[in-house]
Amino acid sequence: MQMTMDELTVGQRGAVKAIHAPKQLKRRLMDMGFTKGVAIEVVKLAPMGDPIEVSVRGYHLCLRRAEARKIELR
Amino acid sequence: MQTIALIGNPNSGKTTLFNALTGTSAYVGNWPGVTVEKKEGMVGGHTILDLPGIYSLSPYSPEEKLSRRYILDEHPDLIIDVIDATNLERSLYLTTQLAELGRPLLLVLNMEDLLEKEGIKIDTKRLSQMTGSPVVTVSASKGTGIDTLKQAIGQSLEEKHAALCPLFSNVVERYILHIIEDDYLHAIPKERQRRWAAIKLIEEDELFLSSMPPLPEAFSTYLAQVRTELVAHYDDDPEAIIIDQRYKVAEQIAKDCQIRKQKAKSFNFDSIATNRIAAIPLFILIMGAVFYLSIGLVGGYTTPILENLFGYLGQQIVTLSDSLGVYPLLSGILVDGITSGVGAVLSFVPQLFVLFLLLSILEDCGYMARIAFIMDRMMRTLGLSGKSIIPLVIGTGCSVPAIMSSRTIEHQKQRELTVIVTPFIPCGAKMPVFALMLTYFFPGQWYIAPLIYLLGIAAVIVTGLLARAIDKHKETNAFILELPRYQLPTVKNVWLQTKERTLGFIQKAGTIILLSSVIIYLLSSYSFTLQAVDAEASMLAILGRIIAPLFAPLGFGFWQASVALLTGIAAKETIVSTLSVTVGTANLGSFFNPASALSFMTFILLASPCIAAISAMFRELGSKRKLLYALLWQTGFAYVSALLVHYIVLLCI
Repeated sequence: MQMTMDELTVGQRGAVKAIHAPKQLKRRLMDMGFTKGVAIEVVKLAPMGDPIEVSVRGYHLCLRRAEARKIELR
Repeated sequence: MQTIALIGNPNSGKTTLFNALTGTSAYVGNWPGVTVEKKEGMVGGHTILDLPGIYSLSPYSPEEKLSRRYILDEHPDLIIDVIDATNLERSLYLTTQLAELGRPLLLVLNMEDLLEKEGIKIDTKRLSQMTGSPVVTVSASKGTGIDTLKQAIGQSLEEKHAALCPLFSNVVERYILHIIEDDYLHAIPKERQRRWAAIKLIEEDELFLSSMPPLPEAFSTYLAQVRTELVAHYDDDPEAIIIDQRYKVAEQIAKDCQIRKQKAKSFNFDSIATNRIAAIPLFILIMGAVFYLSIGLVGGYTTPILENLFGYLGQQIVTLSDSLGVYPLLSGILVDGITSGVGAVLSFVPQLFVLFLLLSILEDCGYMARIAFIMDRMMRTLGLSGKSIIPLVIGTGCSVPAIMSSRTIEHQKQRELTVIVTPFIPCGAKMPVFALMLTYFFPGQWYIAPLIYLLGIAAVIVTGLLARAIDKHKETNAFILELPRYQLPTVKNVWLQTKERTLGFIQKAGTIILLSSVIIYLLSSYSFTLQAVDAEASMLAILGRIIAPLFAPLGFGFWQASVALLTGIAAKETIVSTLSVTVGTANLGSFFNPASALSFMTFILLASPCIAAISAMFRELGSKRKLLYALLWQTGFAYVSALLVHYIVLLCI
């Protein structure tokens, strides 16, 4: 079963397995620290459940569910 | 004289450091992407540049392209890598890229003062050993470590040691070494950049390849083979492999140099600020409080006092000049031109000061990025991005910095749409106009002022929905935004920014508005044959009557209003000074009625902004054609809205 980052609920953790996104978006996400094996935690959801706030490499960033869906977890 | 470049992640404190080093006061905020253009200053006889923040040398938005281009093409004599010490790992990822450029590198660990609170310890000696670059710890906002940094800058510039390149895994290194040895790369002059070029060749970086001579066929085939082998080995694409390798280096260094203690979770503001239910009401409440405090409370109290003061001053000048027998032209300029024109605008200084103060506190504390986070979903339905909300909030102060701050929006269409809608949010300079009309025609009807803001927001929404409806592609783009730490705004930052914006407003009153008041007075007192005449027969009246019929359907087809609108292009406050010179603030009732006053305000709210904002729009849109469309849309929208407002109010009364 494939699990993607948008499936996590608040407080759940995971580790990145792969990013399935077009070249530029993939590069962007990786530049922000989403590389293979990195630990992530979903910290919060925005008022309408989208975007989501994620903690990665000791800092927080937000991204939309559409982007989170492209990050596969293991 | 040598050149130093300040580079680092967004919101790592480059501008604060730049200000501390150069003793200047460039604008600082607490959200990623405050600096969108490079700024130059001097330190120790050398030029220092503050560049927009980047996470990586692969750029996504225009201001990031600027940083990359500068760093790669201009060969600064020293690169200062500003590192947010509380965010070491991600900062070092950029460091691994900067180190390969063959320039001397100096690492500055900024925000030293926050380390203890965050439970972090960093071994700077070890960090310096591992990166091969000198490391200095500073707190740019507290001003500690600046002297040590200045010494280190001098030393680095003298020694000119190129930084050491980070080493990747054996597999990758082997390929890099092979590629470096190829004749193709020997065309590149400097030894160190050859390694960088080899990595770019593995990654197939398009910007890099387009700057190089075409690849020989044999070499190209070899590179393709290298990529295939790497892909087979790592099960990922070459670009991702390199990023992964860099982060591995950054992880290793961070692991060896820093100790992070788990912080105990305590109550924080964020749990309310981004709470799923409370967040949006809180945002509306905060913005409401900002306007209530500045316009309602402070403005309501100080503006009448200052107006009376200027009125009294005018009378005193009249009495004085009468007794001295001053030439009537001169006393006219002094009283009806300068005192009433400039005075009408200066009466708004206290409330604008409070507005600018509150906005800069909001900008400094880290709330802006949260607003983008909580509003993104809503903004998306309008074809905008969560990041578009930052320009809209700043736009309540002044449209010029607001339009510039749209540059952090990666997606071109969303960026352009943000630029077009930002002027719909009434800026501080439009406030005097509204206040003048409201106090005269609707005293005590407090609900009309918020309605004006709502009308501006409605214009944003309508434009957004329309733009989305005609956009065939309906493409959505990524929204990835760092959420910075909350911090107590520093008194220094808030003060600098508030002072600068308020002084800017006063300066306009002393220059553009002073000058236009005098010109308007002269033009409204003389005919084309230079005879002193009644205003109705003046040059201004004749000129104004040419365009006045255009505005007749809106209810203000008299020349005074047309002239006021025209002078408003120079600066919106001028509308007030022009009206007070041509009409006199006490006589507004004989020209406007409540319906035409409302339609006049609507037109001013939505029509094309002042010349400074127009030129900011031009810079961001980048084409005259787009600017023309934007201005036509704004003014056309304003005309239709004002027309509707006029007739609806007439029907209702």
